[in-house]
Amino acid sequence: MSQDESTGKVITRALTIAPALRQGLKLTLFMAMVGQGVTIVTPIVLQQIIDKDILGAGAIDYSSVLSKAAVAVVALIIGIIVGRAALLRLIRSSSIGLSDMRTMTFNHLLRQSVLHVQAERRGNMVSRVTSDITTLQEFMEWGGVSLVVASSQVFLATAVMFVYQWRLALISLIGVFMYMGLMRWFQKILQKNYDSVRVEVGQSLGVLSEAITAIPVVRAYGTEAATQEKVADALESRFQREFQTNWFGNSLFSSAEIFAGSLTAAIVVGGVIIGVNQGMTAGQLIAFFFLTNLLIEPLQIVVETLEFSQSAASGLRRVIEVLDSEVEIEDPDDPESLRADGLSVRFDRVRFAYPGGPDVLSDVSLEIPVGARVAVVGETGSGKTTFSKLLVRLLDPTEGEIRVGGVSLARIPLAELRSRIAFVPQEGFLFDTTIAENVRYGRPDATDAEIFTAFHELDLGDWLGGLTAGLETVVGERGGNLSAGERQLVALVRSWIGSPDLLVLDEATSAVDPALDVALRHAMERLTEGRTAVTIAHRLATAESADSVFVFDQGRLVESGPHRDLLAAGGVYSDLYADWSSGTKSV
Amino acid sequence: MTQPDLTPSSVVRDGARLIWRFVRRHPISFSLAVLGAATYAAAIIVASLVIGWVTDTIVIPVLDEGESYAGLLLPAAVAILGVALIKAVGIVVRRTSAGYLQLRTRQDIRNDLLDHELSLKMAWFNEQSIGDLLAVADSDVDQGTGVLGPLPYATGVILLLVGSLIMITAIDPWIGLGALVGLLFVIVVDIKGSWVTYRLWEVVQEARGKVSSVAHESFDGALTIKSLGREQYVSDRFRVSSDALRDHLIKVNSTWTSYQTVIKALPQAVTIVLIVVGAVRIDAGVLSPGDLVTVAYLLALLAFPIQLIGFVLWDLAGSQAGWKRIEEVFAADDFVDYGGLQAASNGGAAPVHSEKVEFAYATGGKVLQDLDLDLDAGVTLAVVGPTASGKSTLTRLLARLWDPDSGRIRVDGRDIREFALSELPREVSYVSQEAFLFDDTVAGNITLGYEFSTDQVETAARLAGAHEFIQDLPDGYHTELGERGTTLSGGQRQRIALARALIRKPRVMILDDATSAVDPSVEAEILRSLKSAALPSTIVVVAYRPASIRLADEVVYVDEHTVVAHGTHAELLRTEPGYARLVQAYEDDARRMEQEAS
Repeated sequence: MSQDESTGKVITRALTIAPALRQGLKLTLFMAMVGQGVTIVTPIVLQQIIDKDILGAGAIDYSSVLSKAAVAVVALIIGIIVGRAALLRLIRSSSIGLSDMRTMTFNHLLRQSVLHVQAERRGNMVSRVTSDITTLQEFMEWGGVSLVVASSQVFLATAVMFVYQWRLALISLIGVFMYMGLMRWFQKILQKNYDSVRVEVGQSLGVLSEAITAIPVVRAYGTEAATQEKVADALESRFQREFQTNWFGNSLFSSAEIFAGSLTAAIVVGGVIIGVNQGMTAGQLIAFFFLTNLLIEPLQIVVETLEFSQSAASGLRRVIEVLDSEVEIEDPDDPESLRADGLSVRFDRVRFAYPGGPDVLSDVSLEIPVGARVAVVGETGSGKTTFSKLLVRLLDPTEGEIRVGGVSLARIPLAELRSRIAFVPQEGFLFDTTIAENVRYGRPDATDAEIFTAFHELDLGDWLGGLTAGLETVVGERGGNLSAGERQLVALVRSWIGSPDLLVLDEATSAVDPALDVALRHAMERLTEGRTAVTIAHRLATAESADSVFVFDQGRLVESGPHRDLLAAGGVYSDLYADWSSGTKSV
Repeated sequence: MTQPDLTPSSVVRDGARLIWRFVRRHPISFSLAVLGAATYAAAIIVASLVIGWVTDTIVIPVLDEGESYAGLLLPAAVAILGVALIKAVGIVVRRTSAGYLQLRTRQDIRNDLLDHELSLKMAWFNEQSIGDLLAVADSDVDQGTGVLGPLPYATGVILLLVGSLIMITAIDPWIGLGALVGLLFVIVVDIKGSWVTYRLWEVVQEARGKVSSVAHESFDGALTIKSLGREQYVSDRFRVSSDALRDHLIKVNSTWTSYQTVIKALPQAVTIVLIVVGAVRIDAGVLSPGDLVTVAYLLALLAFPIQLIGFVLWDLAGSQAGWKRIEEVFAADDFVDYGGLQAASNGGAAPVHSEKVEFAYATGGKVLQDLDLDLDAGVTLAVVGPTASGKSTLTRLLARLWDPDSGRIRVDGRDIREFALSELPREVSYVSQEAFLFDDTVAGNITLGYEFSTDQVETAARLAGAHEFIQDLPDGYHTELGERGTTLSGGQRQRIALARALIRKPRVMILDDATSAVDPSVEAEILRSLKSAALPSTIVVVAYRPASIRLADEVVYVDEHTVVAHGTHAELLRTEPGYARLVQAYEDDARRMEQEAS
């Protein structure tokens, strides 16, 4: 969706996306108009009483005054009731609609392929479902309401003015629109300043948050003074920018007060002259003073709201952009289930490239029989991680086909695919809860006893026993209370407990010490009997014991076969192996 | 977050104290702001008097009694414009001074926060979430000082209210009494409404925080969630939090709206009643129609500012909530104690000793105990041990990122706690596994703002095995790395971080698995060049790869929270079965497999 698409269009889209927003909207708007109508009661009552009773001939007729006041009070009460009901309806429908939209956006983001879920964009994604929706919410509940209220007030006040004296009403209306134009113009001038303030604010916060995040580095390198100075400079420059804009904005907007004063003066002068020549009562002119105020005040709100609506519209635009973006990894339209036994793998001329980027993998064809243990090796950047993500369908190939258990990967229902194929990525991400709960992400119905057994099966009983709270240990945000190696252990058990038929490990034990790594590998070999296991490895010990090794180099599959054969062939693999084994030789 | 003992009067009392704290530092701008607000209030009162005067001297005589308006219009127009001008000046003075006060206060607090945090121990940081600390420095400072913006205006509104009531009473005591009762009623409803909504609003904020943290965790762990096929579970969890937020929002906004409609309509009702009273008083001859218009006009002008009184209560309560979180940071007083010792200017490699060092993190059991270590100057020491044995903690203690609970560490005979601020890092450099890069150039990341020549930067980069890839970057050493250096690979980032340590020619260099993301052959090369470069350093390196360990002169084997053995690699292989098992794991395994195969 392009940036210049009109705000109106965006709002129409929102109403279709979240139908709750639209529910009973017309009635709500009508009720809001009625509710707001009562603001014009005071000027009318004042005019009536001044003209008919106070300035009228003879003594004041109290019953006439009281009946007018009574009518006004009744109107006021009706206005309160109807107006309140309207706003409650608006709040309800907008809250429900926006919550629906928030959940939809979240689900959509979550379903996007990992291609989009890259570290630097996560913050942005969070703000799609938090601040962008909040801006919308605030606009709907504050700005939207004021807009409705203000425009009905303007409409009614103008109508009354025209009934009293159309010439003066015209003067007032022209003046009010000039005033509004003036405010809009000021806002535009200020916009540039606001933009530069935003840049300064962003920069100063960037510098400040970097300083706080980097405190361990600052301390390790003794750069306290330099860091303080850098932050102080950024804050000072932000202050200067903010203060200048503040001053400038205040001057501009207070000049609007002078304009409002001129308008009142014009109403007095014009009203007296028009009144004498065209006929107008004193009460009517006095009512005009009040009605002019009733026009100016909401217009200030309208102008502010227009600005607000711009940011709400751009928030909405970003949300719609997400909802419109394609979900690459979709559940198949013509699903085909896997058979219940072990899974084989077949890559047929698979190519992968990120949109607009060079090939990350080219022309990869390979076969992995049921129950085989396969190692995938290659230097950093050789494409082996992409290979693993394609294999578990976190990415779809740009070209070519992948089959698992004889079924095209794209046709396996996602839920089934995830339960049969387990993928353990390198980072070992843990949720901020206990170890047991983290493992249950792999199999929600696993009992504590089963989880306990799983740790023991993988020879991790000692490690678990060493934790003071055992399975109930809380791992902290992103698992921060555990070391990188320990996080990987939990992640491994988590995938393991789902007893998958195809296990794909992407350097899943890279941070674990060698002895534990070897023990884990043996445990898994013992237990994966009959299951297919693909291990992306930077420690070539895994390759030595694998049935077959696939060697990647610069996005291509360059060698494949058992360890011994590849070693004898003297190609890429034997170089990698020489490097590795010289590194592991203890003497 | 929700404090049950909070009441409007406690908010006002504590709020006043908070405001005083801010205002004390910038008394002039505050006084100016209040002066501006008073001017503004006076202008509004005068404006309504002018309208009353216009009514009595021009509108009624001319339109009702048919008199001539000659000579009357100009003074009226001038009076109205003049008042508007004064009002405008009042607004500029008030808003600009209040802006100055608020912005300067924010700047002060942010600077103070960083200064304070920089002097606290790492133990304190370990208990905080970085996200929370950033939120304190950002949104909490804004919120905590939020009350300073509307404060002068609120002061102005109070002056305006008092002034208006005095003036109305002067016009007519009965109308004055009516206005007093009416306005007090409006204010009471307003304060009550604001208070009720504020309490609900706190709950909304909590619900909002929950939505945000669920979203954060879900996107952070997206890869894991997908690979486990748990999208539905996470999605349900998000829906629950979003629906809770929705329900709270409906509640708070409905309450707020109910009060608001009443608060907006009440001044009108008061005005209508006063018009009736006014008619009676005019009939009695004690009031002119212009006086009545003045009162009605003033009430119309007051309607909007009165609504803001409730907002001030919000701002006060909100500011206190924000300030409370700021104060928690300021209240932390676990400062790093520095001595007065200066770093030696050219000492060469330094010996390192630790005696009976014990250490535990606040959250768990002993990490290190009874740890003794003796390192001669210039020695390269490998620290080896199983996962979670305390190796990293040991390196952090040596660099004084943390202090031991007991025992001491000496560099060249001096207790490292005796060094002055920023002095120890001139002798001891520490490189961690996670290479933190600043949003700066490559060169800036290596020098960290200290004076080094281009030659020195290049030499350090070469030693760290980084020179080649840096040259391939678009602007070489002047390439801007962007936030956290995300464009570089893990191995590249580690090598830049290593160069950052090397350029300082530290007397002691500590590498905590600092080359873990570097390919094995490159790592070996770096370590070899470190040794051959005649760096005047004692090197402590945490490593797993036997090749890296072999390059070390000495090895300590850490297990079960302490140094189990200290010797050469060959000695430890012979004497320490645990050590041998660890470093020979792959070799043993390969041998075993060969045996099985044959």
